[in-house]
Amino acid sequence: MTEALINDVIISIEKVVKRYNGFTAVDEISFNIKRGEIFGLLGPNGAGKSTLISILCCLFTQDSGKITIDGFDNIKDSIRIKNVIGVVPQEISLYSTLTARENLAFYGKIYGLSKMALHSRIEILLDMVGLTERADDMIQGFSGGMKRRINIAAALLHNPKILFMDEPTTGVDPQSRKRIYDTIVDLNKQGMSVLFTTHQMEDAQKLCHRIGIVDKGQLIALDTLTGLLELTGESDLIHVEAKDIPPNAVESIRKIETVKQVSIDTDSMTIQLLKGRELLVNIIDILTSEGAKVESINIKEPDLETLFLHLTGTKLRS
Amino acid sequence: MKFHLIAAKDMKILIRDRNALIFMFIMPMVIISVAGLALGGTFEDNIRIDVLVVDLDNKHLSKEFVQFLEDIDILDIDMESNEFAARDRVKNKEYGRLVIFPLGFTESIMAGQDTELLIISDPSKDSQNTVLEKIIEGYANQMSTYVVTIKTVTAYGVPTYDQEKVFDIIKVVDRFIFPPPVAVVTQSSTTDRKDFSPFIQYVPGFAVMFLLFTCVEAGSVSLLKEQESGTLRRLVTAPISRSEIIGGKIAGIFIRGFIQLSVLLLFGQVAFDLDLGSSLAAIIILIAAVTLAGTGLGMLVAVLVKTKDQASPVSNMLIMTMSAIGGSWWPLYIEPEFMQSIAHFTITAWAMDGFYELLIFDTGVSGIREEVGVLLLMSVVFFWIATIRFKFE
Repeated sequence: MTEALINDVIISIEKVVKRYNGFTAVDEISFNIKRGEIFGLLGPNGAGKSTLISILCCLFTQDSGKITIDGFDNIKDSIRIKNVIGVVPQEISLYSTLTARENLAFYGKIYGLSKMALHSRIEILLDMVGLTERADDMIQGFSGGMKRRINIAAALLHNPKILFMDEPTTGVDPQSRKRIYDTIVDLNKQGMSVLFTTHQMEDAQKLCHRIGIVDKGQLIALDTLTGLLELTGESDLIHVEAKDIPPNAVESIRKIETVKQVSIDTDSMTIQLLKGRELLVNIIDILTSEGAKVESINIKEPDLETLFLHLTGTKLRS
Repeated sequence: MKFHLIAAKDMKILIRDRNALIFMFIMPMVIISVAGLALGGTFEDNIRIDVLVVDLDNKHLSKEFVQFLEDIDILDIDMESNEFAARDRVKNKEYGRLVIFPLGFTESIMAGQDTELLIISDPSKDSQNTVLEKIIEGYANQMSTYVVTIKTVTAYGVPTYDQEKVFDIIKVVDRFIFPPPVAVVTQSSTTDRKDFSPFIQYVPGFAVMFLLFTCVEAGSVSLLKEQESGTLRRLVTAPISRSEIIGGKIAGIFIRGFIQLSVLLLFGQVAFDLDLGSSLAAIIILIAAVTLAGTGLGMLVAVLVKTKDQASPVSNMLIMTMSAIGGSWWPLYIEPEFMQSIAHFTITAWAMDGFYELLIFDTGVSGIREEVGVLLLMSVVFFWIATIRFKFE
């Protein structure tokens, strides 16, 4: 990215609010996305990511606040916005009894592509997602990862300036995940701005120039990966797999001076703390003396998981 | 306008779906054929009137009369020689009607004397009794003419004991009374009525039922599938208006329904010689109106249920109820009057009324104005509610 591109705002979101039946799904969120940027919205399920991206895609409108996309107001100029955005929904939004080529042709015609442009664009996109060989096979015979790749290609037919992707790697195999990462990076190199939502840390860490962390409808942090990780300080993350963790053990661990957060699941425990390596033995002692059956224990360097626990007190995938 | 792209896509998906095509075309053709051929007699020769006859006269005029009755297809004539036994058999409801030719019946007529035929009947079968009475009255009138003639010629001095002379006179009378000098000509207020073939009932009946499966069940499922699979969300985020999206879905369902109903009616015409009437415009207008109402109902079902899995049972229940009370499986006129009134809240009843007008009376466009009007009104109401309640999100 050049400096000039980075400073050019392509999406502006100001104090956006969306409520459903009294529940506030998006609560006064404000941030900008720069032209040529890959921006990740990270947060657990139900945090409000999909609602926000749906508003940006003109699927519905906000209750209050202002959004401009490529200079157009999302309420007044939704048709213009639709011509500059490409949308990859969370679902495989393809027709299973049509072939990959027929699906792409259908969506291409909806975007008003001429016959010639459509033909060449389909070939380019099939090649880009590595499915030229399967172009004339029905979607119903594709693997989950292949469907996701065609799902992405269908959003790129009109060569949009901005690509919105809602959980693009959900349920895909590692090979398809890598292909999707490569595709996003390639598109970005061509100048496309990308906003995607994810609850997978790997997506955000590998792809994003900047990451916004959303929880309970609010933007709780926004920075580059490095900037965000600095927020955690010197924290380490210890993850313990154990059966029957007694409440006394949890309380004893919480009392350790350098422990910042303790998160408990059914058969596991995650502890955010300073000087994790030094205290590892102490923690094992507490657990075993209280009768917990420890199956595994590992220590992790600071990452977005650590950050999320640091910011919210809960695990990202909870 | 891009709505045609959505309609064309839906048609392509349909053509790929072999099961759907079999259900749309082959299954109704088989059912129409089986029902029409197996139950054909139900509407043609279903009136059988059993008659017990006691011929106490047993002379040539009474025998001719009995022969006349036996030659009538709808009458089942059985003879009984004992009058008292015959009366008991009717009393015991073994027979619905008894006709007694009195002793001296032929002799009285030949002598120009008054006589009488006795009909004893079960009052619970009034319509069948009326049919028998009319038949017997018709033949008895002929006999009365003989008596009147003989009385007249006797008054002019011709002796009635001269049997040969009397026979000659009767022969002359026969020449003058066939055809009757005063004929009664009945005309229908509409054009000529055709015979009620079973296929007039079963072809449009089952065609409309299967059309409803296409428009209501498959239509609502298709729309909900777009919602659930996310394709609708993707379309909403594309530069195509919501009215074009919904218009495209409606057009797709309408086209497939229109083709289906047309093909099934043509099948009836080709395979079973069903006369679709002389007005092509009328049949096309009626097919379009029925299909549009069905499409509207499909949209309504789609917005009233929450998932496509709910749409199928709800649609099936609606279609089977409408088909049963609306006249798809049997003619509406055999239902009690209150059921006929209830039936006219359904698409099926108005569709069948329209098809009867065209297939039986050949009334053309003017004869189906009311039916088409009601079907279009139903369509407007269904589409209006569906559009208000439809959620793209």
